[in-house]
Amino acid sequence: MKIIIDSDLCRDCQACTLACSLFHHGECSLELARLRVVKDLAKDSLVINLCRQCDYPDCIAACPNEAIRLDELGQVILFEGECLQCGACAEACRYHAIFYNEKLGKYLKCDLCRGRAEGPACVELCPVGALTLAAEEV
Amino acid sequence: MAHGWVGKILFVDLSSGESKLRDTLPYAHSYLGGRGLAARLAWEEIPPRIEAFDPENRIIIATGPLTGTLSPTGGRTIMTAISPRTYPYAWYTHSTLGGWFGPELKYAGFDALVISGRAGTPVYLEIQDGKVRLVNAAGYIADVPSASDLWGLDTYQTQLRLKERLDPKAQVLAIGPAGENRVRFATVQHAEENAAGHSGFGAVWGSKNLKAIAVRGTGSVSVAQPEALLDEVSRYGVFKTVPVGGALEGSGAHKRRPICSQACTFNCLVSSYEQTADGRLVPGQCVGSYLMAIRQNQNQMEATHYKGGGVEVPAGRSFGLCEEVTLKESCDRLGLDLWHRLVMQPWLVACTQRGITELRGHPIAPSDVFWYAGFQEQLAHRQGLGALLADDLRRAMDELEGELPTDLIDLGRRMEFGFGFPAHREGRFWDEEPLPFWVISAMMYASESRDPAIGTHQSVLILADLVLEDRELARKQFRTVSKKTWGYAEALEPTFEDKAPVAIWSQNMHMLIDSLPLCDFAFPQVVRPFKDRQDWQNSEDITGDLEIDRRLLKAVTGIDYSREELTHISERAFFLERALLARAGRSRELEETLAPHFQLPCRADGTLIDEDGFSRLLDEYYTARGWDLERGWPQSGQLKELGLEDVALELEKLHNLNKEELA
Repeated sequence: MKIIIDSDLCRDCQACTLACSLFHHGECSLELARLRVVKDLAKDSLVINLCRQCDYPDCIAACPNEAIRLDELGQVILFEGECLQCGACAEACRYHAIFYNEKLGKYLKCDLCRGRAEGPACVELCPVGALTLAAEEV
Repeated sequence: MAHGWVGKILFVDLSSGESKLRDTLPYAHSYLGGRGLAARLAWEEIPPRIEAFDPENRIIIATGPLTGTLSPTGGRTIMTAISPRTYPYAWYTHSTLGGWFGPELKYAGFDALVISGRAGTPVYLEIQDGKVRLVNAAGYIADVPSASDLWGLDTYQTQLRLKERLDPKAQVLAIGPAGENRVRFATVQHAEENAAGHSGFGAVWGSKNLKAIAVRGTGSVSVAQPEALLDEVSRYGVFKTVPVGGALEGSGAHKRRPICSQACTFNCLVSSYEQTADGRLVPGQCVGSYLMAIRQNQNQMEATHYKGGGVEVPAGRSFGLCEEVTLKESCDRLGLDLWHRLVMQPWLVACTQRGITELRGHPIAPSDVFWYAGFQEQLAHRQGLGALLADDLRRAMDELEGELPTDLIDLGRRMEFGFGFPAHREGRFWDEEPLPFWVISAMMYASESRDPAIGTHQSVLILADLVLEDRELARKQFRTVSKKTWGYAEALEPTFEDKAPVAIWSQNMHMLIDSLPLCDFAFPQVVRPFKDRQDWQNSEDITGDLEIDRRLLKAVTGIDYSREELTHISERAFFLERALLARAGRSRELEETLAPHFQLPCRADGTLIDEDGFSRLLDEYYTARGWDLERGWPQSGQLKELGLEDVALELEKLHNLNKEELA
């Protein structure tokens, strides 16, 4: 499973980040989310930082403890219990999609809402199709 | 820890530079938040009978339990203060604005802000995760040499500079030159075009030497039932069309539209991106329907033309789409209420029609786009003609009395008939509100602190549009809506009788919507969204889902308020606002002065009401509210029953004082 991003469609409602933090932490926060939507007011443009599920993930290669690896579905997952908090993955990620949260003292990465029957909450809640699921490869 | 509220109210005194905190929760159960909470804080903090520019005036900025959560449109913020715009004297009123400021304020740890005093020099307030400081905005010395000065900058430049200085993710409220120069319809702006617009609060900021508030928060809002909230929003909120501003156009084109506030997941047809004269795309939300009409080659300003009852308001002049967008953007940057145009341009046209080509030596050419653009600048800077009209049209008429023909002065006064606010959804000068909708509007105008219709887009007022489409069909459908919503099928029959329950319901619901807060275009959902015109035409029952607000509040706070409890809370806040008006001197005597406006025939159907009829409307309304008929004030017993003993005592004292003065 992979989320396709079209930031041109985004209108900064933050439903994705709020849904993400709500699902994972039971709170609404832009900082506890595993993605970021940041608006540049001067250019009226938006940047969405979210895991691309790379075919050759730099984060996996960078992790010294193999805390990031493919799960049984072939998805790139950060197993938080095994994370050493070294930050190598966040540094390696070319999409700036791994976030350190100071309050929790840990790194956060999209896990495609593992275990959620409806799939990723951000995709479900995005009203404009800026986040969609890629068609499954056959 | 509570869910929904973050727990603290921040008080900042600009005179001393000191700040203090108060807990939110003791207020939360009685007032929820937003407009209700602000009314209570105003009652406690603002001294009676002060002027808007008195340092003792407070700027209250309040969020509610839904702000900062996933609740659709919950990103709104409420601002209140004693207003410089209300006429004939200053009283407490409110404005609401969308955007991202309220959520950020909560993430920084505050449910509300109360600002008092006056800074010695221009300052801005900086809030970062619970830390607060005042920064000199006139001569800021920073390691960025270009960032030397904020005072004088437009609202847009101010925001960019503060974001650059503090954090790109900071959210900023700012005033422009209009606020600095205390223009009585100056706005407080946020992002491209969100504004606390109508009540002139920008001028209150200017009087306090407060240029901006920048807030950055990394915290969160705790939610009691995360799953329930996710379910509610995914079921109800995702890209559902908001059934106003083109209710029958279905979902409209699936195109990129700007939104007004964080967490708005709706498809709101009144918003669109439009091009400025220099080719930039900018959002056009609140005035979207206005721009939409121009896009369809309609001269929307022609809609100001009104003739009846011996009064004629001339048509204004639209300048073409990109020129209009540019003028609108200029208002946002200068910090001017866009609505000034709807009264000032037609009035100035009336002057030119009488052969008057200059006022006090200043040439007027209101149908010339370049002249009008310059006029907006002059208003914001109080220069030239702007110096005369910056106190708004109504006050300018007092100033010009004797210099101009009486009928022009009379026209100017009529155009801001509603205590200094432009006409809006009153069935005559702006918007076609057929009977019974203008009757409901009239009751609301008379009993509230400001143009009430701007906060009630999705309640009964929007139903007027359906009447204008197909009177018979709408009337049939309204019987079901009325029975379900107000308990009697005749609530929206085109008569003058028994409309007070609808007016009161609408006021109470909007107090609630402004306190949670949610957007009044989308809530309360009196009418459900339609797929298209056919969907509307083939429906027996068009009633919307009136319980969404309650379900959202329950999911966020975990508290299962009943509808009766919520109505009780809204009434408490509304009565408190009424008490604030009473304390400022408002009473029936002043409210009767609105009668002449409703003696003019309704634009849609020619209906009107004479002076006695208007008085009967007030009787009906005050009686339904349980207020006394002489002054239209809440009764002591009612206030005590609402838990407002202190308010009851003060009003009693005031009443006795008035009686003594009369004796």
